[in-house]
Amino acid sequence: MKIHEKILTHYLSCTSPIDKEGYLYKKKERTSSHQRRWFVLKANLLFYQERPADRHLLGVIVLEGCAVQRCESEGGLFAFSMVFRGSGLKTYGLAAEDQLGQESWVKALLTASHCYLSLLVRDLGKQYEEAKRQAGPAESHPRTTVTGPGSMCLTQSMTYLNSCSSSFLMPEPERREGGSHSASNLLQAPPIPSNVINKRSPKHWPKRNAHVTPINGPAPPYGEWPQLHDYYGEEVKQLRADWLRRRQEEEAQLEEDLIDLSEH
Amino acid sequence: MRFNEKELISLSRQPSERAAELGMRGPKKGDVVKRRLVKLVVNFLFYFRTDEEEPQGALLLEQCRVEREDSLAFSITFLDEAERKYLFECDSQEQCQEWIDSIIKASYEFMRKNLIFYRTEIHRLTGKDPLEQYGIEDETRFQVTSGLHLMPKDI
Repeated sequence: MKIHEKILTHYLSCTSPIDKEGYLYKKKERTSSHQRRWFVLKANLLFYQERPADRHLLGVIVLEGCAVQRCESEGGLFAFSMVFRGSGLKTYGLAAEDQLGQESWVKALLTASHCYLSLLVRDLGKQYEEAKRQAGPAESHPRTTVTGPGSMCLTQSMTYLNSCSSSFLMPEPERREGGSHSASNLLQAPPIPSNVINKRSPKHWPKRNAHVTPINGPAPPYGEWPQLHDYYGEEVKQLRADWLRRRQEEEAQLEEDLIDLSEH
Repeated sequence: MRFNEKELISLSRQPSERAAELGMRGPKKGDVVKRRLVKLVVNFLFYFRTDEEEPQGALLLEQCRVEREDSLAFSITFLDEAERKYLFECDSQEQCQEWIDSIIKASYEFMRKNLIFYRTEIHRLTGKDPLEQYGIEDETRFQVTSGLHLMPKDI
């Protein structure tokens, strides 16, 4: 099967953000020896190469349909594995140098799949609609969701979600009677032991990927731009209003200071 | 470059949002339109030769431009290069539009943008960060873009 490498490598090097990168030890197949590789996680793709500066990519792992779990430590390393569900499918053995690395990689990989993000977006979409309803007349700018025209009908999307979560292992899966899954149960990330210092990641994109919109991104569907435009437009409006007010105040001040030369 | 082929093939067999036999033409000069079973699974577009179990190829639907070509056809351009423009011919205008919409919405980056929008809006409306309930508020992938910090809502 052809995977169109250039498309993958282009995506890796484009301006959209990198989700996690660092050295990990990768278990060689059929032996128990480890090789140190530089891993880069972007969306649902895990790339690896020998060193960070390398242009040559050794490989990529598509992260759909795999369960990520911590393992017993091996040779002083903090191991974890990615187990692909299905007969004849691989298990990747990876390991970090310390426990913090292990924890953060496991968490990042668990939340990396397209399926997971899809569930999350759907859930947040519902919360957003609910929040708007509750905000009521105070919310003076009507916003519709960014799903755009031609969105899937409800039955289709539920079928997709159900097949998504039943086919793949999700973090902490819980089935409820009645068929529909509670997204909040499926979305829960595994608890991290409290003695691990939670290193807060910066709440902004890393510098080299600081663009909001990818330069070569897909043409935004017509549903999306009005909403995003409104949203950022609001910020601009507010800033302008503040600026205008300050200018008026400054001008008023200047007029008072002017020496009145008219009466001479 | 190595990739987890078996796992990707397994993915191509998963229930699909959108699958149909379409006319497909590759980007190279001299490429002709061929009937292919085209299947959209997560952010990959798989294409199969008719009656073959294993896909012929997989196109990652990120950093690409999807455009209407005429009433029945759409194209996907990768790397912003005309040399990487794939053409797809549909059976109806509706089908064509549905494919375009689905492909755009399948992109991981598109979904991420939506997520950030919802996260920021919900926080603005309720004062709460909706990702906290899932314990993922610090994951880099879900961060609000630079300069916008989620502060507690001022009452």
